[in-house]
Amino acid sequence: MSFYDIILKRIRKIQEKAEEEEPITNVTVSAMLTAELTLIASVLVAVVMVRLIHPVLMIIMIAAVLIIALMVMPIMPRLRREQNDDLNNMMFYVVVALGIIVALFYWGNLNV
Amino acid sequence: MNANALIAVMVILPIASALFLNLLHKKDRTIKILAIITAIVIPIIPLLTPYGSHFFGGYVPLAQNATLAQGLPSLITGTQLFQFHPGIMYVFTSAQQLMVFVLGLITFFAIFTFLNETKRPSGVYAFLMFMGTASVSAILLSDDIFNIFVFFEIAALAQVGIIVASGIKNNYETALKYTLLGNIAGPLLLLGIVILLGVTGNVNVTDMVFTFKQGYVDPNSPVILMSMALIAFGWLYASGLPPFHTIKSAVYSKALPHGAALLQAFSVFTLVAIGIIILRLFSYNPFTNIAIIGISVIAMILGITMAIVQTDYKRILGYLAVGELGYIGIGLGLGTAFGITAGLFQAVNEAIITSFLFIGFGTVLYKTRTSNTRKLGGMMYVNPKVALLVLLAGLAMAGVPPLNAFQSKLMLIQAAIQSGLPELGIIMILLSIVTFMTFMKAFYTIYMRPKPKELEILDNKIPRSTVISMVALLIICVILGLFPQIATNSLQTLAAGLV
Repeated sequence: MSFYDIILKRIRKIQEKAEEEEPITNVTVSAMLTAELTLIASVLVAVVMVRLIHPVLMIIMIAAVLIIALMVMPIMPRLRREQNDDLNNMMFYVVVALGIIVALFYWGNLNV
Repeated sequence: MNANALIAVMVILPIASALFLNLLHKKDRTIKILAIITAIVIPIIPLLTPYGSHFFGGYVPLAQNATLAQGLPSLITGTQLFQFHPGIMYVFTSAQQLMVFVLGLITFFAIFTFLNETKRPSGVYAFLMFMGTASVSAILLSDDIFNIFVFFEIAALAQVGIIVASGIKNNYETALKYTLLGNIAGPLLLLGIVILLGVTGNVNVTDMVFTFKQGYVDPNSPVILMSMALIAFGWLYASGLPPFHTIKSAVYSKALPHGAALLQAFSVFTLVAIGIIILRLFSYNPFTNIAIIGISVIAMILGITMAIVQTDYKRILGYLAVGELGYIGIGLGLGTAFGITAGLFQAVNEAIITSFLFIGFGTVLYKTRTSNTRKLGGMMYVNPKVALLVLLAGLAMAGVPPLNAFQSKLMLIQAAIQSGLPELGIIMILLSIVTFMTFMKAFYTIYMRPKPKELEILDNKIPRSTVISMVALLIICVILGLFPQIATNSLQTLAAGLV
């Protein structure tokens, strides 16, 4: 099964769950595919910056990101489903982000 | 009148005009005249105002008041008390001049378009637009962090009002969600400010920085770190960076095009203003810059990848606007004078280009009453000149030369390489290409593919004012693209002061 077909299948599944009636067009799938590749490529390049902490850690993290990306691919349909306008979802991510920010600022600073 | 009083007029005039407009219900002609006069004057004031400071109530620091300083005991003159700012202070430099001017210009185009696209202009809507502009101008000018918080809240309310007034389907729901999320972020920002006040005994940013630098307070104490995190969280809400990117893009999509043009300018300049405060207060700690860069990269990736999978062009623009905020954040986070200048320049450019795009795509809504790209097509035949202008706006956003964002994005990439982070440069190039693709996808579906049979195009002619606004914004994009030093020279001093 090609990557295109995997994305198409995943979008159909998500649409069925969300009970969306919009048709799946070539544009939809191409857009999703582009977003998927952009996401993975950007994250991989961003992880290279870990070299500033330690080169070995960078290699481990790149390998980890690659393995995770390959295992959970396609990520974009899931991401799109999560990034919706539902208030509960938004609240959840806001609270999670607050926790992460406070933790990072607190412990990150103490250990710089 | 003291020339520096004009600094306060930049905030007072739009507030006064807004309050007056609010009272003029159903007096259409008066509303139009007053709104347009105010909109013309707002960008002119920063050009006439000399650089300097304005002390509200005349409460200057003792060190600057010869009369009061005479005969004071050394207990006061020999301590930091002598330097402290007892009242609210507004600071006006070349950077503030440029940013308040650009904000004023966008307000003018938004008001100009609104008055001509709406048959019966609402005084309340104009009130909200001017209140928002006044608030963001105050946030840009103020050196008092509590004053900034007050205007942060007023700006949030004005934004909610602009969404509610749009009349677009589900706008109330989005406005309510934005308010509810603001109810989390606002108090936490205030808590951060209160902690700083409690620890330093001050709300003036200059005084707080002085307190940290002189070692009167331990800047690495857990309490200060907590305050840093809370202020950073409030900053994310105000600017629409993750995790608030979803609601922010929804906010843009539920506003009318001229409203959305102004709302995104509010977000951009609030991001810059509070970002600068964060850098001034906390840049002693390298983690601040790391956090800003991290959040900005996430904003860029999430904003742009989410934009490409949308089918509503207002939502596409909303997400692209969020993604572009990441570029500004990277500039600030790099922490070098060149990087910060590039980030500030990108902010000015983004505010102009995104307004251009919202006003441009707004013509599609005006003609078809839909923003769903699946239902659109063939708009090129309806008005090819407007289509060309929209195309140029999209090229500007993607960073195509000789338009303005090309210069700022090039500067950002150079700054990233100079700072030893070429990876950021690669990410910015990659995402600029995807931004271009996203825009072209929207442009193709709206303008270039055949018109769907069921699409009804209204007979109403696109107002000339809308086209004039777009041409004016394009001219600004070209001028800043060919002569970037017009903007960068104004921004360099502020950037150098932050390093």
